Amino acid sequence: MHVFRNNTVERFFPKEYTFSGYDDISVVPEEADSYVWFYQVPVGCSREIAVETIGGYKQKFALVLSRIEARKTFIAMTMEEVFGLPLTEDDYSVRKAIGEYNGFLFEAEKTHSNLKVLDYSEFIRNAPEAELIDWKFFFISQMGINPRLTNPFQVWWQRKLDSISMKRKKCIVLDLDNTLWGGVLGEDGISGIKIGGDYPGKAYSFFQQSLLQLSDTGVILTVCSKNNEADVLAAWENNPFMILKKEHFATYRINWLDKATNIRDIANELNIGLDSLVFVDDNPAERDLVRQMLPMVSIPDFPAQPYDLPVFFKKLVGDFFKVYTTTNEDKKKTEQYKANFARSQAQHAFPDFKSFLESLDMQITIEAANDFNIPRISQMTQKTNQFNLTTRRYTEADVKSFLANEGLIWCMSVADRFGDNGITGAVFVKGSEIDSMLLSCRILGRGIEFAFLKKVLSLLKARGVAEVKAKYLPTLKNGQVADFYDKCGFVLISETEGIKSYVSDLNNADLSIEEYYHINVQ
Amino acid sequence: MEEKVISILRVVLDDELVDADTSQGNCDKWDSMAQLNLAVEIEAAFNVSLEPEQIAEMRSVQDIVRILSGMKK
Repeated sequence: MHVFRNNTVERFFPKEYTFSGYDDISVVPEEADSYVWFYQVPVGCSREIAVETIGGYKQKFALVLSRIEARKTFIAMTMEEVFGLPLTEDDYSVRKAIGEYNGFLFEAEKTHSNLKVLDYSEFIRNAPEAELIDWKFFFISQMGINPRLTNPFQVWWQRKLDSISMKRKKCIVLDLDNTLWGGVLGEDGISGIKIGGDYPGKAYSFFQQSLLQLSDTGVILTVCSKNNEADVLAAWENNPFMILKKEHFATYRINWLDKATNIRDIANELNIGLDSLVFVDDNPAERDLVRQMLPMVSIPDFPAQPYDLPVFFKKLVGDFFKVYTTTNEDKKKTEQYKANFARSQAQHAFPDFKSFLESLDMQITIEAANDFNIPRISQMTQKTNQFNLTTRRYTEADVKSFLANEGLIWCMSVADRFGDNGITGAVFVKGSEIDSMLLSCRILGRGIEFAFLKKVLSLLKARGVAEVKAKYLPTLKNGQVADFYDKCGFVLISETEGIKSYVSDLNNADLSIEEYYHINVQ
Repeated sequence: MEEKVISILRVVLDDELVDADTSQGNCDKWDSMAQLNLAVEIEAAFNVSLEPEQIAEMRSVQDIVRILSGMKK
């Protein structure tokens, strides 16, 4: 990363970053893999000059943006007035210039997919004005942020980088009594629990509504509660103030078993790792038990007072779930997990697996990477751990760069009679070698992985490739695909320290695909 | 105190070779940016507020020890 800046900010960023001169845009170093624009309000000049200077920063920013390769990420921080000094109440000239500057960044983002604007006010809002700048260090060395905020800034920055590369937790496991509503259902009854109406019901309504919106961004909601299942089902159905109901949860465990067992069970059913879960429960003893038994689950403290739920929710999102943007696939996530469950139930009704697969009416669409699917492809490389042969992570910019260097990428979407799973697989090919192959775990169990790979091999064969190489790179999580290429008929040519190299002779390989996979190449 | 100063310098300068005789004159990594980071870390570690003049005077381990001793009186 290379940072363009007008203040001293080195100590706030990781050591390997490089920095421009102060307010210097003469050099855009080509070797940098990505760039940061971090300009703040000039200090020590008149208000008029400040307004003019901020206008000038806009032009400088536009110039740098035009000189950065479109495949490289460019993060621009908004400008904030951390120390406003208007001498009359009607002097909002600097505020106005800052607003125009930020508006300019937002507009530029619409036309430049590699530009990510970060709201710096989110960071500074958490610090009192008097602490944002340490004037001693500002005058000694033009340090733009109080050096004592180094640690919080670094934490915030890392979280923002994760959000830009679309890393986040996948699922919340929610308790019910005194978490989603006030009171205990088993004692207070369906109409006695506190939800809707006056305080504290109002606060729980806020929390439920917020979680519903979060689930619309693709976070999976589940429930783990010690209750009688029938009571809860009745409450979901009959309490008129209930916002989160049965259909909003991908799955639930409502029983009297210990929560660690239930949570492990939920992770298994959804086929996601325990480290993708966040457990929310008001009871410290339950949190402690899960923390002991399942240390990879994230467990925030729950507020003692219901009126603290808005602040709790905001921190929950900020710490675990905020991503820079969401894809269409995210928005359908809960439905897809539920369709999966229906599918696994339906399987029992067929005499054999083949007739089950035939009954599904699977429609597989394979398309080359394009501007519309690149965000999703990048997201899959960041998030997929289990069915991932090489676990190479690609940002959107990396994906574009892969394509620009004569790489080929196909992604796959799957629909069947239970629902549309959206884009859930991708293959990266460089020359005659498969660089990456990955699938979302929620489409496994239908043989789609083999159909997908065979079709891609056919496409390569049609392009004149005679021999394809492939690799399996072991990680802690991808053991399930250690013999994937063996199953696909590839020949193992070497194996060292778990790394397996394969080759397949396409002229002799069996590339036939069962006709119940309806494949459409676009 | 000297030991604590040395251990802070080792971190700030990312150099295990820092000892009681280290100074700006014999250590290339001790540049103006390091000087700044050093001031911030010293302030935090000893819970003091250094004046700009004192920060400018901190050119060696012994300078720092002397300045801090003067403040702790």
